[in-house]
Amino acid sequence: MPQSLFEKVWNAHVVEALPGDNALVFVDRVVAHEITTPQGALEIEREYGDTLYDPGRIVAINDHVSPAKDMETAIQAKVLRDWAKRHKIALFDIGQNGICHVVTPERGYVEPGMTLACGDSHTCTLGAFGAFALGVGSTAQGGAMLAQTLVLQRPKVMRVIVNGRLQGGATAKDLALHVIATLGFKGGTGYVLEYAGSAIDALSMDERMTLCNMAIEAGATTGMCPPDETTFSYLRGRENQPTGEDFEAKVAFWRTLRADPDATYDREITLDVDALRPMVTWGTNPGEAIALGAQIPADAEASSLKYMGVEAGSDLRELELDQAFIGSCTNSRLSDLRAAAEVLRGRTVTIPTIVTPGSQAVKRAAEREGLHDIFQDAGCLWTHSSCGPCLGMSMGVLAPGGRCISSTNRNFPGRMGTGGRVHLASPAVVAASAVLGRIASPSELGVVDATATVTATEVRA
Amino acid sequence: MIIAGTVLPLDRANVDTDQIIPAHNLTGIEKTGLGKHLFTGMTGGAELLARHSEAAILVARENFGCGSSREHAAWSLADRGFRAVIAPSFARIFYENAYNNGIAPIVVDATEIDALLESIFASIDLEREVIARDDGGEVPFTLDPLRKQFLLSGGYMKFLASKIETVRAWESAKGSPRA
Ligand code: SF4
Repeated sequence: MPQSLFEKVWNAHVVEALPGDNALVFVDRVVAHEITTPQGALEIEREYGDTLYDPGRIVAINDHVSPAKDMETAIQAKVLRDWAKRHKIALFDIGQNGICHVVTPERGYVEPGMTLACGDSHTCTLGAFGAFALGVGSTAQGGAMLAQTLVLQRPKVMRVIVNGRLQGGATAKDLALHVIATLGFKGGTGYVLEYAGSAIDALSMDERMTLCNMAIEAGATTGMCPPDETTFSYLRGRENQPTGEDFEAKVAFWRTLRADPDATYDREITLDVDALRPMVTWGTNPGEAIALGAQIPADAEASSLKYMGVEAGSDLRELELDQAFIGSCTNSRLSDLRAAAEVLRGRTVTIPTIVTPGSQAVKRAAEREGLHDIFQDAGCLWTHSSCGPCLGMSMGVLAPGGRCISSTNRNFPGRMGTGGRVHLASPAVVAASAVLGRIASPSELGVVDATATVTATEVRA
Repeated sequence: MIIAGTVLPLDRANVDTDQIIPAHNLTGIEKTGLGKHLFTGMTGGAELLARHSEAAILVARENFGCGSSREHAAWSLADRGFRAVIAPSFARIFYENAYNNGIAPIVVDATEIDALLESIFASIDLEREVIARDDGGEVPFTLDPLRKQFLLSGGYMKFLASKIETVRAWESAKGSPRA
């Protein structure tokens, strides 16, 4: 039987079939952060003798509010830290940490063919490596720490073929928004999105992570990209990966993880990206996105228009902004910062602008090439790494009615603060908007393609 | 098992977990005591909850519980006494979290929702898999046969704990699944 990439990974991890199309699925790696891990860890401590199936398969990262903002978040971080130390779990803490979905690949903890689970919906980011990586609740994460397995209903598989070449300022973020706008905000529910096609093959690992990061925003279980030379060279020589022959033996296995030519899918869609241009969201879910410069559709959802304070038929470029944010697990890797810096070099922002690198390793790499000077010369706030303003939990919270252009992944009501309004876009569009104080394309500043000159150098910690 | 109670009608689609419980309320380390934050991220949420303070059954439109994986959404509903959510569709992670916390996620045909939103009271028979509406009608649904046991007898974690030996045996028979 020919198999898709997803099927190859899934079949290799099914421990046993369970009633109702469920399966007990082995989890190679559990990623644990301070917001959603303590509840399961404490339950295991109380009810199951504090025993973990294999602490060596867990990676713990303080990331959401790090350093802590108050006593409660300090307790969360301390619980994670103490638990990790007690079980000799690899821990990334203040100073060496970053957003878990950025740190995990950077440190070589994800590889093709793996299964990964984390109490965080954007774990799908790691599907960029040809892994099956998904977000789960705290109880399911706890179960994966206790018994190294998840109970999962087998998802359906949608093949998403992306032809053409990203150009004219279009980035992986715009592709991600395009996919969600095409499928609809819940159009991927029940599916794994298995990407294929020439446009995907041409993406760097940073870009594949941006694309897979937003699979959940179409409701999908996760996204997956076929592993190839780009994947292998990202992992070659990386921390927590073997070297020499041992690594090459792994590569030989990873090469077998491509979908078989006549594999069948539950659904298939084909997109062409040659004509894709920068996108921006106008509404309150990531599927409510349009090309920058297009009009808000006439049939736009009334409640979304009302919350966002916009009108059908209007042009988003007329809106004045209160804040700009470049960061999050979607767009905070080195290539994202380079693209934003390309736009900001020699210019000045006119609204409060926060730039938050995805990890401390990204921060240091960016500083080695002077990006922090470009940002700060432009008047941006250059911060340490964390989730930061993305989830409206610590710094950068919006005032009610406040409008922010953001390189993040969610524009839900209240996401960055109660009543706050979020427009999602690529780092280059956020940077251009920060300069002009309204939603703007980099081309308005004469920067046609900020990513064209950016090379994806993959950060090593 | 029968879940009977008054209905809180939430006539909205795509109710995301930021609306159910905003991120700034996620600063605890336990699953308990989160009911006071329920729907505080939703415009009009607090008023709606106050009008239906005794409700045990939530009725909503499609794609309920989308967004973040935060199980706090399920914990805050459970803490306020909700034992079932009825909707035409759920986001996957919320759907799983609901089962793991004694909340029945009940999927019904979208055409049934208008009448259920009008209901004051509903009675859900988990064994027979039907909802008895207060107008006398019955609405069928299907539960996940495995997760139904988590609802009836509790314990996703307990179930997994019972599988540890099976998993170890599988792992050693297979060698590293990563080859
Ligand atoms: S950066 Fe934002 S979306 Fe990503 S893990 Fe952190 S809070 Fe979640």
